Amino acid sequence: MAILDELMRLPGAMAAFEFRGSGELLEHRIAHPDRINPATLDLLAHMCSANMSIAAMQTRGWEQVTAMQGFYPVQEFTLVGFDWSVVVSALRRERCKQAGQSKLPPFTGIVLANESADYEAVFALLERSEPAA
Amino acid sequence: MSMIRRLLALDGVNVICHFRDDGSFVEGYGLMSHDDMVRLAHFAHDYRRMIQGNADQLAMFTGMRGWTPPRGWIIQGATQSVCGVGNLVCVVDPTGAPLNDILLELREVSHW
Amino acid sequence: MSIVTDLLARPGVVAAGEYAYRGDRFSYRGALSDEHARMASVMCRATTMGANMEGAMLDSIHPGNGLHPPRGWLVRGPVHTVCVMANVFCLLDHTQGSVNDIIGFMRQNLGDVPYGLI
Repeated sequence: MAILDELMRLPGAMAAFEFRGSGELLEHRIAHPDRINPATLDLLAHMCSANMSIAAMQTRGWEQVTAMQGFYPVQEFTLVGFDWSVVVSALRRERCKQAGQSKLPPFTGIVLANESADYEAVFALLERSEPAA
Repeated sequence: MSMIRRLLALDGVNVICHFRDDGSFVEGYGLMSHDDMVRLAHFAHDYRRMIQGNADQLAMFTGMRGWTPPRGWIIQGATQSVCGVGNLVCVVDPTGAPLNDILLELREVSHW
Repeated sequence: MSIVTDLLARPGVVAAGEYAYRGDRFSYRGALSDEHARMASVMCRATTMGANMEGAMLDSIHPGNGLHPPRGWLVRGPVHTVCVMANVFCLLDHTQGSVNDIIGFMRQNLGDVPYGLI
């Protein structure tokens, strides 16, 4: 997948991956197999799937109760860990939903080393306009 | 005999553990190693707090009464289920197990 | 509250505050009502708790991964990003401000807060 290769070119990229809504790891790239392996990524993907669902619930509820806009739909969830961060994006899925498609593409994720993490660059790449299909 | 050990007499209950408010293991009985019981107690303590967070948010967004305080949780698997009430957690073989009775017993014992 | 005041002075920040890991205390500054700030603190508490638990589980299965312990998290929507680091939250209009700037500032000032209190 071209997007995974592009993500891996970002500063600090350690792994890039796609995963189903139910959490299963799909395509992935790993820069340092001695530090991250597919089993770790699969568990991480499941966690991120759960966190995206929670964030969707929270932003929906927040907008309904406060009438503030611009929180939902969730585009990315980011966990800033001790040394690494993981950013996962639902934007491709959201664009397909808005286009009325029922079959949705996977989530996209990237693991970054904090020291060189450029979150804005990650968001810009993940939010770049692309065909909904 | 420890008061919680009697819960093993319920059909389907294979493990019962008791933990403190900080998650530290107090005692456990049943078909599980001590180390795994300690892990189970820690998980149940964390999960209890997560469920409390879920219930708080649900109450907050819906404005409905009755979600909080949460009384417990169940994770139902194919051959194993885990039930948490208060500072107790048990592992259950769900096949034919009277979950209603188990939850009621857990609730009663959790108040002791 | 000085970090909250400093955050509020940064471009794009709509509101910022502190929340307690346990209990329901909170404080805030910015364009939120008391009730909405309380709600934000409830969500922050719950999500931080969840992220910490998840990190601990991941670490028990794959020790030494760089994700645990978690320092914070972000939820990004079309206009707003919620940034949380330790027990501080910040609502950012990211069309007016920079996530990198906010995260960098929060990490610099909160990066060493012990996570054991969660």
